[in-house]
Amino acid sequence: MTILIQQLITSVSVGGLYAVLAVGYALIYSVFDFTNFAFGGVMMVSAFSGYFVSSAGFGTIPAMIVAIATGIVVSIAIELLAYRPMRKRNAKRLFLMISAMGVNIFLTNLYLSMFGANLRTLSSGFISNTVTILNVQIGTVDIAAFLTSVVALAIISFFLYKTRPGITVRASAIDVSTAGLMGINVNRVSLIVFVISGITAAIAGMFFGMKYTVYPGMGAMSTKAFIASVIGGLGSLPGAVLGGFLLGILETLVTGYISATYRDLFSFGTMIIILMFMPNGLIGKGDQSKL
Amino acid sequence: MYIASVLVTICANVVAVIGLALLTGYTGMFSLGHAGFMCIGAYAAVLLNKYFMVPYVFALILGGFASVLISLVIGYPTLRNKLRGDYFAICMLGFGTVVRLVLNNMNNPITNGALGITNIPKLTTLWSALLFMSVLVYFMWNFVNSQYGKNCIAIQQQEVAAEMMGVSIVRTKLLSLAISAFYCGVSGGLLGFWLQYIAPATFSDTRSNDLLATLVTGGTNSITGPFFAAILLTTMLEYLRFLVNWRLVVYGLLYIFIMRFRPEGIMGYKEFSFKKTIQFFKEFPQNRVKIIEKLTQSLEERTKKKNRRSDNRE
Repeated sequence: MTILIQQLITSVSVGGLYAVLAVGYALIYSVFDFTNFAFGGVMMVSAFSGYFVSSAGFGTIPAMIVAIATGIVVSIAIELLAYRPMRKRNAKRLFLMISAMGVNIFLTNLYLSMFGANLRTLSSGFISNTVTILNVQIGTVDIAAFLTSVVALAIISFFLYKTRPGITVRASAIDVSTAGLMGINVNRVSLIVFVISGITAAIAGMFFGMKYTVYPGMGAMSTKAFIASVIGGLGSLPGAVLGGFLLGILETLVTGYISATYRDLFSFGTMIIILMFMPNGLIGKGDQSKL
Repeated sequence: MYIASVLVTICANVVAVIGLALLTGYTGMFSLGHAGFMCIGAYAAVLLNKYFMVPYVFALILGGFASVLISLVIGYPTLRNKLRGDYFAICMLGFGTVVRLVLNNMNNPITNGALGITNIPKLTTLWSALLFMSVLVYFMWNFVNSQYGKNCIAIQQQEVAAEMMGVSIVRTKLLSLAISAFYCGVSGGLLGFWLQYIAPATFSDTRSNDLLATLVTGGTNSITGPFFAAILLTTMLEYLRFLVNWRLVVYGLLYIFIMRFRPEGIMGYKEFSFKKTIQFFKEFPQNRVKIIEKLTQSLEERTKKKNRRSDNRE
């Protein structure tokens, strides 16, 4: 029983991180209607800079701040250098997706060539600590990850639903060109969206680095975020959160009770089964369900 | 021997890339896991040859059909509900990963887990590879120029309009997925019988990315473009061996730059034809002045357009 509870707690913390990542994914998807495959690359790059800061002797908090700054800078650089010129030419979605793939391959292999494929441990002040509550041992990292992701999700939803810039983002998600005609500065919206997605990528990257390790291939983890947002309904933010938590729970239970090697098999299998019966995901309802 | 090896690799790559060209270029569906089909084709062909004594040519073709079977299993549920292209791309990524994971963890003496199958007889010769390549390219050329190929292009251009005109979207998409899976399967078999060794790691994600990079470089709307790009990139790879991992860095940049400046690839929407090229060079001495005039005219038009655009902005 204790093991099950421990598993569940780990799974909720992993699920929270997946949810944060999935929100970053879903935001870009809902506004610009293409899959940002470069997301994993941004996550990896920011985790690396967090690693460098923390291994230089600074604490976890400065590392986190640097990681978030890196995430924002890289995310905006990608938008300005790769996507915006293409959108200006009305490029097809397929081309945008291929370009995003290119960015991901570029970043992953650049870091692989520069720093090698070694696994690096991101040391943090509270990595080895555990808290015992009612015979259940909980890692402090898990608690921090869960709390941070909940706070991040709350801030993002407050921003999107209660503030003026957030409303412009939601309007653009429904129809970018109409929003542009209505006087919304679409270029600013794109910057906002990419800043948010950079922040989510950096948060998730840092915590994945603390829980596991930092290595150039860790961007592959963002595939899970994509699965999560597909399960919940592509482009829908509540769906992304729900999908993230569900996927986290599923994966941890499969790892704990079946086998770690078949984890990916189960996540992709679940996604395909859900798509077979609910083509719009769990709570997606087609185009109206965006944001 | 070295040159033969490069040539066989080129043939295998051309076959796989041409298959992917139908799916991504003509039908407009994005796949990130076609190495999975190469893997299935290679394993099926090699196992059939090793344990059932199926002759080489039939083993390759049956390997291709094994890929087709799997492609229908994965393609039907993902394409049936007119899912958006992104779902399909991620399903294919998952498929490629799953194939590799399952083969890696099947620790029986037949497939041998992550170690792969060794001691495969060297049945692919340079000539058989060239023959396979030319026959398959010929078939694809005919397919693309047939009514089926036109249906595919229609779907890529405007799905709704294509459906209004009576093109069955699900069937056409499934057909092009199955054909591209067949090509990749055969290509995997060709490679397996040449390298004499296959393992799940031979068909990693890197190979899927290589296929896509080749296709993008060649142009997503022609057969000859990817054909030349496969030859060019594979030979270039031999010269760039010293770059090791930086090769993929260059590939990533290549994607971005091609999509940024020339999304239609080297060939664009045109096909290469000997007749027109020969004619061009034959008439070049007489038409020299005309051609140069044409070029300068188009250049002037372009600068005019640019000026007009910047005027509008102001």
